[in-house]
Amino acid sequence: MERRIILNLIIILVFIFLLVGLFNLDLLQGEKFRKQSDSNCIRLISQSGARGNILDRNGEIIVDNKISYDVMILPQDLDQVDLVLGKLSRLLGVETKELRAAFKKNFISTSIPVTVATNIELKKAILLGEYKAEEPSIIITPKPLRHYPYAALACHVIGYVNEIDRWRLTKLEDYGYKTKDIVGFGGVEEKYDYYLRQEEGGLSVEVNHRGKFMRVLGFQSPQSGKDVQLTLDLNIQKIAEGALSGRKGSVILMDPQNGEILALANYPNFNPAVFVNQRSALIAGLFNNPDAPLINRSIGSSYPPASVFKIVDASAGLELKKINLSTVFLCQGSTMVGLRRFSCWDTHGSQDIFGAIAHSCDVFFYKTGLLLGAQNIHDYALKLGLGRNVGFELPYETGGFIPSPLWRKINKFQSWFDGDTANLSIGQGDCLITPLQAANMMASFANGGYLLNPYVVKAVGGLDLSKKKKKLTAVNFKKSTIETVATGLRKVVSDVKGTGNVLSNLPVAVAGKTGTAQVPHGATHAWFVGFFPFDKPKFVICVFLENGGPGYSAAVTAKKIIEAMNSQGLI
Amino acid sequence: MRNSFFRILIFALIIAIAGVLSIYSSTYQKEGVWQDIYMRQMLWLAIGLVCFFVISGFNYRKLWDANYFIYGTALFFLFLVFVLGIVRLGAQRWLKFAWFNFQPSEFAKLAIIIFLARYFSAKSVDDTSLSSGKFGIFRGLILPFIFVAVPMFLIIEQPDLGSGLILLLVFVCLLYLTSVRLKYIFTFLVLLILPLPFFWHFLRDYQKQRLLVFLNPNIDPLGAGYTIIQSRIAIGSGGFFGRGWLSGSQSQLYFLPESHTDFIFATFSEQWGFLGSLLLISMYYLIIHQGFIIAQRTQDAFGRLLAYGISLLLAIQVFINIAMNMGLAPVVGLPLPLMSYGGSSVLITFIALGVLANIDRTRNVF
Repeated sequence: MERRIILNLIIILVFIFLLVGLFNLDLLQGEKFRKQSDSNCIRLISQSGARGNILDRNGEIIVDNKISYDVMILPQDLDQVDLVLGKLSRLLGVETKELRAAFKKNFISTSIPVTVATNIELKKAILLGEYKAEEPSIIITPKPLRHYPYAALACHVIGYVNEIDRWRLTKLEDYGYKTKDIVGFGGVEEKYDYYLRQEEGGLSVEVNHRGKFMRVLGFQSPQSGKDVQLTLDLNIQKIAEGALSGRKGSVILMDPQNGEILALANYPNFNPAVFVNQRSALIAGLFNNPDAPLINRSIGSSYPPASVFKIVDASAGLELKKINLSTVFLCQGSTMVGLRRFSCWDTHGSQDIFGAIAHSCDVFFYKTGLLLGAQNIHDYALKLGLGRNVGFELPYETGGFIPSPLWRKINKFQSWFDGDTANLSIGQGDCLITPLQAANMMASFANGGYLLNPYVVKAVGGLDLSKKKKKLTAVNFKKSTIETVATGLRKVVSDVKGTGNVLSNLPVAVAGKTGTAQVPHGATHAWFVGFFPFDKPKFVICVFLENGGPGYSAAVTAKKIIEAMNSQGLI
Repeated sequence: MRNSFFRILIFALIIAIAGVLSIYSSTYQKEGVWQDIYMRQMLWLAIGLVCFFVISGFNYRKLWDANYFIYGTALFFLFLVFVLGIVRLGAQRWLKFAWFNFQPSEFAKLAIIIFLARYFSAKSVDDTSLSSGKFGIFRGLILPFIFVAVPMFLIIEQPDLGSGLILLLVFVCLLYLTSVRLKYIFTFLVLLILPLPFFWHFLRDYQKQRLLVFLNPNIDPLGAGYTIIQSRIAIGSGGFFGRGWLSGSQSQLYFLPESHTDFIFATFSEQWGFLGSLLLISMYYLIIHQGFIIAQRTQDAFGRLLAYGISLLLAIQVFINIAMNMGLAPVVGLPLPLMSYGGSSVLITFIALGVLANIDRTRNVF
């Protein structure tokens, strides 16, 4: 009898064991197994939308997309992969080795399609489409790729696109960015990536154990990115880039009334298309080039302002009443500051403020600078927007630098001497500004005393942003100061002996200031910063030539640009 | 009086219908002969039911007399498989008859139970007590084991390790239920377990692999471990209510191999979930429980042992099959009685249930 009861109990225990096992699988781990079941039979085939286009102010396309094709294979039957790769290599004209290497590199799991070839031509895509009938594991997906009809034009404003790097990924993960996403680097592509960026869509399909298609479960259409309209004028941009004609430097044209950048050209430049085609040799060349073609020189590097800085001395002197319209200094070709002789680039005789600006007389500004003192010069330079970030919307702006006695004391443990003040007065020494800062300073004399918030993006997705972006900051100078300096700037061009006299025979009245910056090595940097037409300024122009010789050559370049704009009726 | 008969019939029918539904769901999308495989199962079911009715009206005491004949027939068929058997899925388990394949090992299971029941219920000549209580080690252990070992060896050599081990388990359980001394049983078990590491070398490669995979399915996810992994996914993805009839992706998209035979429980469980599986397992338990009740109220020693044997055979098969579906037992080729596709299994199970019903009916005649 006892044996029967024990056996009965054993049977009951055995069934309880089964129920516990069932409970564990179904209810405790059910969630996990449900997911595994889905991943067994559900495949996602992604389809990407197009990245937003980039347009100029008139709606002309600067950057758009063209369709290219990717070849992927479903590695369900791993034994077949070699066979399929062999056939693909014959059809595509690519070595099997390369395809196999790509397969190995991109393989994630047997259920996810593996990309083996990218950016194949339409003809080959059609050819493969026919082959697909006999080899269903091949998938051809159209993929819109960045297309640059003007090659390198405005490349520093636009930036380029590339696979996301680790640093950006950690920063952007929370916004839905994933590894292998294509994102913008530099320029508008980076700054407005969130708007330009397309939303991936795709097809979810059910497959059987052999990966054979059974039915479509769902479809989400891909969303294209928003178009970004720039303030750039394609024609002016072309003129500006043409005027640089292979010389290192940058050209900026800006509207002094609202801060719209009409052209922003830099040289050396690069063709963003090399990143799309992933031509690794060319990309490495860009990064290793000592001339740094990827740097946006207009905002990303700073230079000694040289004589352009004299505008600061003149304004500060007038504002602080250290000089006035009747102040005259005598230029005998040099002057003594302490025990050192500071020379002028010429002998100008007696100079008032207009003459001094027009002829860029160093002696006049040594003396004005010594009257002002270094701290005042520093403060007024900052008031005019030099030596600090403009707050430009493109990434990687550098601030430049204006030295001051206090800075020197703290950082270099050196005293500040009058000689340093004299040096600062003519924009040499440790003083550094960016071309955009120079243009912005010039704008405040063109528009009656307002610093601007320069910007390049006019509208995103059809939404006009210019009202929000236009931001005028008064420099709070007396009206007479602005007018006096502006008249001086006009005389730079109109005076027969003015440093910018080369611009005088243009049909528009130009005002501006040249600069010739001495550098430790190589030829001088050439500056011309000005605005035109003088009576009703519509353009601020800044031409900067790195190691480009005297300021005169920058003025000549500016002249070419203005002439071309005039002849095309753009003024 | 007819209660046990109807209970067994209804429980068995519910399980069998669940089986047909599962077979249909796992094969209806396949092409060709696969599509009407559920019809064949229904035909076997019909034949099985007829057998059930006939056998339940057929006095089981006649089995006592036919015992040696049945045992001999089973042995004969097992030998025949050796000579003429059809090789399928790497094993030689089937005999081809006119239009169907017969699996003699199924028949042998029942034959051995009848034989053991007869052997241990023999009465002493001098008094009417059971003689098994007085058996020595030879008559109580060695002799019956030889009778079990011969067919068992033939089945294991097919190779069908699962069915062979089931015979051994049934033998041990029946031994336990008779009056054979416990110390003999323990000696037997120790003798069985001690040389197990030695037997490892006699296992075939695929059997070794299955055992290794049972310990860790992930050592060979696309090979031997595949079935276990897919089966666990199928059962687990069912959740509480299941994915619904004909909506199980694991079984219907063929990720689960053998979804209509050995792994039919996973197919069923995926579609009907915890709830359905709970009910199914309860049905099995109720049938087995019914068998135990019948055994306990039967006065006849032969009938009692027979009823126990049949119930245990059912219980052991159900347990090993479901445990194997859940990855709790190594994979052995063993059908789930009444559910798995396969004529021999269905037929023999219904015949065994018929005998069970008859034992209870005959009891009342006395």
